[in-house]
Amino acid sequence: MTIAAFLLIAFMLLMYVLLDGYDLGLAAAAPLVGRTDGERKALMAAIGPFWNGNEVWLIAAGGVLFALFPKAYAAAFSGFYLPFIIVLWLLMFRGIAMELRGHFESRVWHEFWDASFWLSSALLVVLFGIALGNLLRGLPLDAQGYFRGTFAYLLNGYAILVGLFALVVLVQHGLSFLLLRLEGAPAERARGILPALWGVSLAGYVAVTAMTFVERGLSVELSPLDALPLFSLASLIAFRVLGARRRDTGAFLASCAFIATLLIAAAATLFPYLLPARPLAQGGISIFNAQPGPVALATAFTATIIGLCALGAYASFATRRMMGKLRVER
Amino acid sequence: MSGVLADRLQFAFTIMFHYLFPIGTMGLAPFVAWYWVKGARGDEDARRAARFWTKIFAINFAAGVVTGIPMEFQFGTNWAGFSAKTGAVVGQPLAMEGVYAFFIESVFLGMLLYGGRAVSTRMRGVAATVVCAGAWLSGFFIVCTNAWMQHPVGYTLSSDGTVHLQSIGALLLSPFAWWQYVHVLVGALVSGGFIVAGVGAYYLLSGREQRLGERFVRGGTIVALVFSLLAIFPTGDRNGADVTRWQPVKLAAMEGLFHSQHGAPLAILGMPDVKAEALIDPVYAPRLLSYLAYGNWEANVRGISSYSRAIVPPVEVTYYAYHVMVGLGTIFVAIAVIAAILLALGRLYTTRAGLWALMLAMPFPYIANEAGWTVSEVGRQPWIVYGLMLTNDAGSSTVAAAETLFTLIGFAGMYFVLGVLFLYLVLREIGLGLGTQA
Ligand code: HDD
Ligand code: HEM
Ligand code: HEM
Repeated sequence: MTIAAFLLIAFMLLMYVLLDGYDLGLAAAAPLVGRTDGERKALMAAIGPFWNGNEVWLIAAGGVLFALFPKAYAAAFSGFYLPFIIVLWLLMFRGIAMELRGHFESRVWHEFWDASFWLSSALLVVLFGIALGNLLRGLPLDAQGYFRGTFAYLLNGYAILVGLFALVVLVQHGLSFLLLRLEGAPAERARGILPALWGVSLAGYVAVTAMTFVERGLSVELSPLDALPLFSLASLIAFRVLGARRRDTGAFLASCAFIATLLIAAAATLFPYLLPARPLAQGGISIFNAQPGPVALATAFTATIIGLCALGAYASFATRRMMGKLRVER
Repeated sequence: MSGVLADRLQFAFTIMFHYLFPIGTMGLAPFVAWYWVKGARGDEDARRAARFWTKIFAINFAAGVVTGIPMEFQFGTNWAGFSAKTGAVVGQPLAMEGVYAFFIESVFLGMLLYGGRAVSTRMRGVAATVVCAGAWLSGFFIVCTNAWMQHPVGYTLSSDGTVHLQSIGALLLSPFAWWQYVHVLVGALVSGGFIVAGVGAYYLLSGREQRLGERFVRGGTIVALVFSLLAIFPTGDRNGADVTRWQPVKLAAMEGLFHSQHGAPLAILGMPDVKAEALIDPVYAPRLLSYLAYGNWEANVRGISSYSRAIVPPVEVTYYAYHVMVGLGTIFVAIAVIAAILLALGRLYTTRAGLWALMLAMPFPYIANEAGWTVSEVGRQPWIVYGLMLTNDAGSSTVAAAETLFTLIGFAGMYFVLGVLFLYLVLREIGLGLGTQA
């Protein structure tokens, strides 16, 4: 049960990255592909109906983490107080930008919110990456599992590398989503950028994988999960090949597969820890010492599964009605 | 400043700001749904009304989302002691709120706002109804969380003070939660009614949108009348009964009753002087408190001085907040009754004084709602979970007061800007009027 609960949290976070990932990535790429006011408006419109629902995956994952592993929730949110508040403010700022841009026909107003939107989205992605990097690296925790280090400690080279890699990967993801939603100049620009970006992702992928092995040490016994990096590589190549043939849906799915395999590998590396200590041998907060007892675990687990199944039904119904291409207004 | 005091200030500020928006969401959603459903039946005016209220609703909803996210974060960031010990219980309704309510709301609101031509008016009616249900559901789950903190049920306690969930049924069906929830919902609907009536009154006063103005005034007044009566009876009365039964010291603070008394009077007015242990300049209704609390004119009601000082909540804040809520509640009934009589006589639309009263009433339900929450939350002190865990033990050991103050300043700045923009956008929407597109 505890392990299933871990998988559930991992699944919800994965969904968050796949879904909000494309709108964050698209936003971060907006200055590259949207030149005119109309184009930028179209870029926001492309994600308009979806971003709030996508963000709910994060909010819901937070709530479910609270219910399934309260001690990890408490330790993570309070231990990383400032980083969490910064993430929070960026999320708020981004939401405000999305909501307010369209209310006035003023160039100054639009430019201000466009820039807020790009910057907050790009920073969020980098911060999420830094967080993941630090988890993979392990953190200095006290006896109760609370982090007492400083903010600056979190900005180490490895974590920043993961943060930048996250930005590249999600920009790529966002652009490939853009191709599904928009026609016209932004889409053509995206097609122009993607090959070069792909090169950067590949280089980043190699660098991050290598550095991760350095940070964590090579494990001697190989498990089937060690094949995951190969799947990641295969999806990344598929992404390029499909993209070059303008098979946009396929390319987007390949990008999803690339991100999913990376994150599954990360989750498998962390398992069973939610907050691993550094040095890594020292344990940390694991799913076993953070769970709230059998009744609470089973209740939250069952309730969440039922809720997500229902969501699958109505969300696919609603999305099917709203997907489809938009045109850029002049 | 102690860490927990800074946490309390920050929580109070951010939740009171957040709560302004759920009031609008829960209170306006039924109007939005109603006008879309009517519009789908070929009523052109209703369709224009639906578009107009959907715009206002969307601005309000966005502000609610933006200010709601910090609430969920704060349980972990500022109240780690509380979350780690009670997460097994408190986490349940919070998780359900995310999984059951927020997803539904956002998916169907997306459809309502961005559907474009792909979504018919009928489908919009359905989407708006679902959004309304989602908003009410999210109110239920969150009130359930709060109700557990007021009156914990369905749990077991282990020796280190960690709470375990025993039964989710007991938690979700807690009688305390249900009466609290219904009262909260009624409070939101009182607000919704007065907002719609007030906007209608504005249009009539300024001589625009005659037909729809009348329609808003009529619909809003009826809703305001029904729900301001329900706010007092049975829901307000039942909340009072629950407090009497489970938190008697809060009752004493609400009523400013310092000394235990048989046949205790109800203080209508008066200023509590905590040092002197007396109300200054009181106006009493004799024996009424004994009757309201216990249904018996002679019953003994315990006063503040009969409790150990350590468990008495801040008396002044609780007392004033309670009197503001109840006083406003009474005034709402008066306004709504008079407006309804004028309406029945067919004179409301032309009585400028009546329209002015409706328009000026708009902000007051907000104040009543905020005051009500202040009663329940400040009156709950010094407990974070009544009788189980003290607020002083609930903070985060790793977070210093200085950090919380810093972020509080950040929130204050951001919310100030947000508040100004929100008011500006909503007022502008109202000023622009209903538009011509049906
Ligand atoms: C328009 C809003 C509104 C109005 C007119 C009233 N209330 Fe109220 N009241 C609320 C909105 C509200 C609220 C904001 O929704 C609260 C906060 C917590 C809760 O359960 O509901 C609340 C709380 C609250 C509590 C505290 C519950 C607790 O401590 O847990 C009591 C005893 C009452 N109410 C009783 C009344 C009475 C006797 C009213 C008669 C006029 C009344 N309320 C009018
Ligand atoms: C229903 C969901 C709510 C939950 C779960 C909740 C929870 C909490 C928590 C954890 C605290 C901090 C600890 C404490 O001071 O006891 C608090 C304090 C407070 N809350 Fe709530 N709250 C809720 C709703 C509200 C609303 C809607 C308002 C007002 C509009 C409100 C007003 C306050 C105030 C004023 C305080 C500070 C009280 C004090 O410290 O003296 N609460 N609440
Ligand atoms: C401390 C307690 C609270 C927390 C943690 C909280 C959390 C949240 C969050 C995260 C959202 C945004 C959801 C989204 O992205 O769609 C939200 C919106 C909402 N909240 Fe709260 N909230 C709290 C208090 C309350 C209270 C007291 C009520 C009402 C009784 C309430 C009712 C709502 C409703 C109806 C929404 C829908 C959006 C809107 O109103 O604009 N919340 N809340």
